[in-house]
Amino acid sequence: MTVTVEQGGRGSGGRGDKGRKGGGSGGVVEARHHSRSPRRPRDSYALFLLPGALAFFVIVVVPFLMNTGVSFTEWQGVGSPKWTGLANYRELMDDAEFWASFRHSLFMVVAMAVVPTALGLVLAAALFDYVGKHFGGRTAAVLRACFYLPQVLPIAVAGIVWSWILAPENGSLNELLKAVGLGGLQQDWLGDPDLALYSVMGVMVWVQLGFPLVIFMAGLQRVDPQLYEAAELDGAGWWRRFWHVTLPQIRPEIYVVLLWCTIAALKVFGAVYVLTKGGPGGATDVPSYFSFTTFFEKTQVGYGAAISTVLTVIVLVLAVVGLKLQTRAEDAEQGVVR
Amino acid sequence: MLTARRRVMAAAAAVVSTTLLLASCGDSDSGSSDGKTLKLWHYESPDSAMAVAWNAAIKEFEKTHPGVKVKFEEKGFEQIQKTAPMVLNSNDAPDLMEYNKGNATAGHLSQQGLLTDLSTEVTKHGWDKKLSAGVRTTSQYDAKGVMGSGKWFGIPNYAEYTMVFYNKDLFKKYDIAEPKTFDELTAAMDTFVDKGVTPLANAGAEYVAQQYLYQLALSKADRAWVDSYELYKGEPDFHDAAWTYGAETFADWVKKGYISKKSTSTKAEDAGLSFMQGKSPILFSGSWWYGRFAAENKFDWGTFLWPDSNMTLGSGGNLWVVPKGAKNKELAYDFIDITMSKKIQNMLGNKGGVPVAADPAAITDPRAKGLIANFNTLSERDGLAFYPDWPAPGFYDVLVSETQKLITGSAKPDAYLDAVKAAYDKGVQDR
Repeated sequence: MTVTVEQGGRGSGGRGDKGRKGGGSGGVVEARHHSRSPRRPRDSYALFLLPGALAFFVIVVVPFLMNTGVSFTEWQGVGSPKWTGLANYRELMDDAEFWASFRHSLFMVVAMAVVPTALGLVLAAALFDYVGKHFGGRTAAVLRACFYLPQVLPIAVAGIVWSWILAPENGSLNELLKAVGLGGLQQDWLGDPDLALYSVMGVMVWVQLGFPLVIFMAGLQRVDPQLYEAAELDGAGWWRRFWHVTLPQIRPEIYVVLLWCTIAALKVFGAVYVLTKGGPGGATDVPSYFSFTTFFEKTQVGYGAAISTVLTVIVLVLAVVGLKLQTRAEDAEQGVVR
Repeated sequence: MLTARRRVMAAAAAVVSTTLLLASCGDSDSGSSDGKTLKLWHYESPDSAMAVAWNAAIKEFEKTHPGVKVKFEEKGFEQIQKTAPMVLNSNDAPDLMEYNKGNATAGHLSQQGLLTDLSTEVTKHGWDKKLSAGVRTTSQYDAKGVMGSGKWFGIPNYAEYTMVFYNKDLFKKYDIAEPKTFDELTAAMDTFVDKGVTPLANAGAEYVAQQYLYQLALSKADRAWVDSYELYKGEPDFHDAAWTYGAETFADWVKKGYISKKSTSTKAEDAGLSFMQGKSPILFSGSWWYGRFAAENKFDWGTFLWPDSNMTLGSGGNLWVVPKGAKNKELAYDFIDITMSKKIQNMLGNKGGVPVAADPAAITDPRAKGLIANFNTLSERDGLAFYPDWPAPGFYDVLVSETQKLITGSAKPDAYLDAVKAAYDKGVQDR
């Protein structure tokens, strides 16, 4: 009985239990229900969650509720707020600047989630499958670290360095183009409203690429090599092995990366603040920066709170939908019925 | 037994962690109220004339107040600008703080009741007699937070104004005389453009660009125009002759190459460096650059007021304000008084600042003499026209953004003026 209970405890993630309940392993479930075993660790572990839960409540839930409350008022940050109901939200619906900033967010999703995930997949597979095999694991590890380096750099530092690189006069990129005879391609990368958003996107691809790469390489470690060997024996080339073995095997990692990066893209602030401050002429404004300037520069705290509330809700909805889809896909793979 | 012990340990760990967490959420500093500490914040860079003078004032204060310590904290301009209302509304407020002047900043805080009314102290110490009319405008705010009248909420002990900084060596190299008129200035810029040199250092991403445009408008404006725009004494017409001239001339200067089309994303520091490195022969900016140029320029340089214009951007300097919740207000008043003394004012003048109460005979540096003489000229003709972003909170960002569009050509002058008017109307209505 002891052994049975221990196993039950370890498997208490929820999904396995439910599966077993449906499967009729009544003995196990029975034992767990009837035995309030003093050795069951879950109760004591729950206490360890208390500080975290309290911190979450104090640092996330309470400010969010306060922010939501403020969003129903007209307030300058000090003095008495004036209750205006849904006025801020109605104004938001008609605010062209807000919607423009939201469109820019979608571009950032491409730069911070879609492109890094796609590129990260190919690079991870190449490093793992080709570089690792032909040049050794150490070379692959060094290259992986190089790609990951931008993730370690504070965004303020990376942003300032990139603003030097992209500077219109004497910027390294323009100087490089001139040096190789491509002076005609020189641009005001961050100052031209037609280019600035793409320049920021380029920087964000560079910043973000290391994260999916590292996750995918870790995921590839757990893929059974026999699958590759079998595919190779069947005559599958690198691309077919990537498509039919690598991709399906690391699908959970892809879900996680896409979700994580999409949320990061919707919240992006630091890079925009350091590189362009939303300019030129609002060409790179994003909701979080828009909220920041409304809140602190214009001191329209109620309106700024409404922007950040809408942004939070959108991020939350996306996160929940993403997690549901991921769980459903994983369940489908494992044949779990809910 | 094992589990029971584990539970006890877990409970203890939870209690300790929770206690630490709650402790970390508590007040870090409830402020000093002992009469022995003056908590002082300012954001001047350490090598600026103001910081040098105020460091001397701190020493003087500690000498004249035995047993009292000055607890100085260096802050950033942005840091104070963005967080002041919240800090001043908390227990962490300092006793004395440097703060930006104008309706959208000090006026806004005074309106919210976060600043101490200094009117009695002003009369008691005679500070009002030391400040000229143009300088004291930014010290007084009415009940709506509009500067120019009402109670005293801040004391500036220096002033600032904009001027044309020019590289005499480059002017000599291209055989160009110092411009005395506006036509000579544009002729000089034409010559530079012909020689492949962009004459004006600019920063589209920060205040420099909007100040060029505002100065151009000011050259066609008068005091009533400024009062209408800055003090809401009348309704400004953004399509009048002055604004139209400013926006159209600015756009024209970009087309003519006086201002680089590639300056949209550059910052004020870039413009300053461009001048200091001898790349741009002219920079139109404020006296806050003066000390740095004096210390770092490797070439001969000079300044002159914007030609053919009675008015230019400028005002009293940033203000010493005493937060409503300050614990040691008397010490704060004493410190302000020291910064207004002849000794500190003269030092400020000799270090390249613009003092408001210095002894002219004590200013020995020849360039500093010129700087102060130009300020006196402006003061005498009531020529300080403040800054274009002052009328409403958040207006600075609007001006940056719209002026950027004018540089890139993505907005025409008419559209620029429409956008500025819309933001002005909304900002003034909301304030």
